[in-house]
Amino acid sequence: MNLPVSETAAESSLPTDPVAADALIGVPRQQTNPSRWRGERWPEFVQAAELQGVEVRQRYADTGMYITDAGGLAHGMPHGVVVARSAGQIAALMKVAQQFAVPVTVRGGGLTTEGESVAFGGVLLDMTGMSRLLHVDKNALTVRTQAGIFWHHLAEVLRRDGLDYISAPLNLSSSVGGTLGVGGIDVNSSKHGCSADQAISLLVVTPTGEIVECSDDENHELFERIVLGYGQFGIIIEATLKIRRYTPLRMHYFYYASLKPCVEDLLMLDASQACDYTGILTMMDSAITLLVAFDSDAREAEFLRQVKPELRGHGELMFALRLAAKFSWRPWKWKEVLFLLRRKRELFPDLQPAHHMQEGRMLDRTVVFSRAVWKHWGNRHMVIPDLATNRDKFIEAVERGNAVCRKYFSCYTLYCVGIRLRDDHRAHYELSSIPADAEGWAYGCEFEPMYNGVEYSRDRLQSFKNEIYDIGVELETSYYRFGGMMKGYIRRALGNEVVEKHLQLKREADPAMILNRDVIF
Amino acid sequence: MRSVDVVIVGASLAAAAAAKRLVDAGLETVILEKQLLPRHKICSGILSPRGHRFLLENFGPLPRNVLHEPTSCRGVTFHFPSMVSMSMDFFGGTTPHLHRKHADHWVIEQSGAEVMDDTSFLAQRELDDHVVVTARKRGGEAFDLKARYLIGADGPVSPVLRSLYPDYHKQIPMFFVGQKFHEIIDCPLDEAYFHFWFHPDLGHYTWSHARDSRQIVGVGYKIGDKFHDRHLHVARYFEEKHGVRLKPADDDHEGCSENFGPSLINRYVFGKGRVLITGQATGFLNMIGEGMSCALHSGAIAGESVVDAMLRNRPVQDIYRQNIASEVRRTTDQWNPLKIAFARPHEADFPKALMEMPMGDRIKVMRDIWSFLKLYKEFRWGRQIMAISAQRLLHGDYSRKNWL
Repeated sequence: MNLPVSETAAESSLPTDPVAADALIGVPRQQTNPSRWRGERWPEFVQAAELQGVEVRQRYADTGMYITDAGGLAHGMPHGVVVARSAGQIAALMKVAQQFAVPVTVRGGGLTTEGESVAFGGVLLDMTGMSRLLHVDKNALTVRTQAGIFWHHLAEVLRRDGLDYISAPLNLSSSVGGTLGVGGIDVNSSKHGCSADQAISLLVVTPTGEIVECSDDENHELFERIVLGYGQFGIIIEATLKIRRYTPLRMHYFYYASLKPCVEDLLMLDASQACDYTGILTMMDSAITLLVAFDSDAREAEFLRQVKPELRGHGELMFALRLAAKFSWRPWKWKEVLFLLRRKRELFPDLQPAHHMQEGRMLDRTVVFSRAVWKHWGNRHMVIPDLATNRDKFIEAVERGNAVCRKYFSCYTLYCVGIRLRDDHRAHYELSSIPADAEGWAYGCEFEPMYNGVEYSRDRLQSFKNEIYDIGVELETSYYRFGGMMKGYIRRALGNEVVEKHLQLKREADPAMILNRDVIF
Repeated sequence: MRSVDVVIVGASLAAAAAAKRLVDAGLETVILEKQLLPRHKICSGILSPRGHRFLLENFGPLPRNVLHEPTSCRGVTFHFPSMVSMSMDFFGGTTPHLHRKHADHWVIEQSGAEVMDDTSFLAQRELDDHVVVTARKRGGEAFDLKARYLIGADGPVSPVLRSLYPDYHKQIPMFFVGQKFHEIIDCPLDEAYFHFWFHPDLGHYTWSHARDSRQIVGVGYKIGDKFHDRHLHVARYFEEKHGVRLKPADDDHEGCSENFGPSLINRYVFGKGRVLITGQATGFLNMIGEGMSCALHSGAIAGESVVDAMLRNRPVQDIYRQNIASEVRRTTDQWNPLKIAFARPHEADFPKALMEMPMGDRIKVMRDIWSFLKLYKEFRWGRQIMAISAQRLLHGDYSRKNWL
């Protein structure tokens, strides 16, 4: 047998694997679980850093608390920890790290799920040391903040002035800096775009230790690389973000018994721009909730008059009756019914908590959609593979991903949202999860297993993730969460040309390849 | 006495996978290997797609020197006494044909663990919060290592397992598998496939494939028979029935003991206290007799269980047995007749290949498989397999009561 030659390897900088060109579906020949950095010249590095006034904490008590991230699957111990204090301190750290080729892993809230904020040796830079809000401009509706601040803290401070962030990730204990690096998707992203689209300007420390302000007008190429750049081209120190006036939410829920009509209605609602917030949350694929919400009574009234009659979803009572009829002659499905009832009993009070509701309006979505609801998702291992597609492929992606969930887990939930794309931000999206063929909106679906008391090995969960991501390869689409342990998929999603271009830029910006290494490249 | 976090016995794929997880998490890990590395390893070297994926994701692209020629394998071909043959491609694409001597050494080096080769494991004793491992470098004095955990990844006749359960190997049937290498005169067997014979006259496990311009003729049988007679019988059958013309076997033949039974009847052994057993020592072996992918995955699970136990301050056995359940399901499903008939537990599609055959051939194949299975009658596995198959159907899982 002749030695098969890898076609893709010939065009890319990946080493050639002699086994076969596409030996495994969905996995290019790339190591996704990085090797631990061995600590070459670590003592000299620490000495040089401390001469520059950078404190490197090396006790087990300091390093041990960073051993894993929210995913809880990757475990890695840094050699030392630096708590961020100022741009000058971080710039000094990066200069010394370049000199001694010591990897630097940046961490905000540590809410990554693929080990992206886990340091497999080297320095872990904890950005939560810089978490102050610096300035609010009430007239221009902008805020300047240090990047280590958590979104819930930002929301609390803004609310004192009757202001609010525009869009933030569902779990608000993520940091602003980390979110701008990866995207951030909210239930109003179908109207306002992702959280990273709200950035106006940034103060950045480059991998070689320069302190640079960047925006669409100033150092725009760096700005394009930093926003949605997975932390490869610089460390965000401060950010200026767009904000808005606070409004309570007018919430409505519609219930569906199957995925397809619900997803079709979501696509229709986004296209009509009749709602300010839209999203789908499911209990398995039996009880699917379409969430719609509004910032004003006028918008709500217009929706109720013009769009609501077109929706195929039902109210809670009607849906319960239809579900009872459906399951009554399927006794083998009654276990699933018990799960649905339990889930409803636990989740619904937190989705509509009396102390955050007034006259049908939700007063504080920050609390409800992050802290109160979040406790019902995830487990010790947070596993949330996802698929990001254009409108046309979305229904197929959701249905195929749902079939994989059914195969692996007895209980799970799906979360789907649209993301409004901005034509002027196309350059930002180049290395991101936004599929290149998406026009107007991109759509994301997260597939979240619920463990229900069962413990799963990392190995089993990895197989589940691979199977979801393989759907993306077959559909030629993208993912929100590539990076870390799933970085092998990035070449499949974006193509060698884009990845090689950014790899070349990375090598120029970060000659020792030390900043957040092994996340993307 | 030197104190480390974890000692792993054996320098195989399971050991490397466990070491990778432990070293990544910053734990001081020492691997004890009785031979000098790189060491020879008896194996067909045909890895399954799942194992290939694991190697790529955890250790990176495979260097050329860890592969035999042909470098890859497309799937398996089953041959039956009625002279029906069926080829099945692996779902996941072609897989590597590993040169175990270099492949094992490569993954061990990639894991980043410290290796003490030429050093034999002698004994272990568990104390309150650690295990004292006694070992000896060849020609040297015995020495002790203090470890928080000990992982036995030392193969079917595991000395670590024997130190925990001295009688275990007497309780399970052991088989001998041996292979001889022949210069090829003419071989019509497709070299892109691993060939397996369901033939009761040839033995319990009969296989052949090409390697480095020679043909392997492999036989497996219950310990007690004569390897050379068995091998000669199989080689003659290949020539008569399949036209495989080979020169007499070269001198470098090899063989080893295998624990074939535990995967079939869910009788795995995972260790005791702070001592974990992993890889083929536990009994993991999938249906084409390939233990490498199970070794990689179970090794990784052992490693992550130790990390988890240290982080959560929980008994490591509890965590390991919870985590390993998925690997047990995956492996034992491959022997479960209900799963074989109604699910797709293997990495190639036997039911589909069967249904594509003419009805007459299908009947011949099923009849031949039945007569082949009767060869295993003496081990009394039939009822046990039916019992655990029913257990899987009703409870969704296999019982953990039979595990040691």
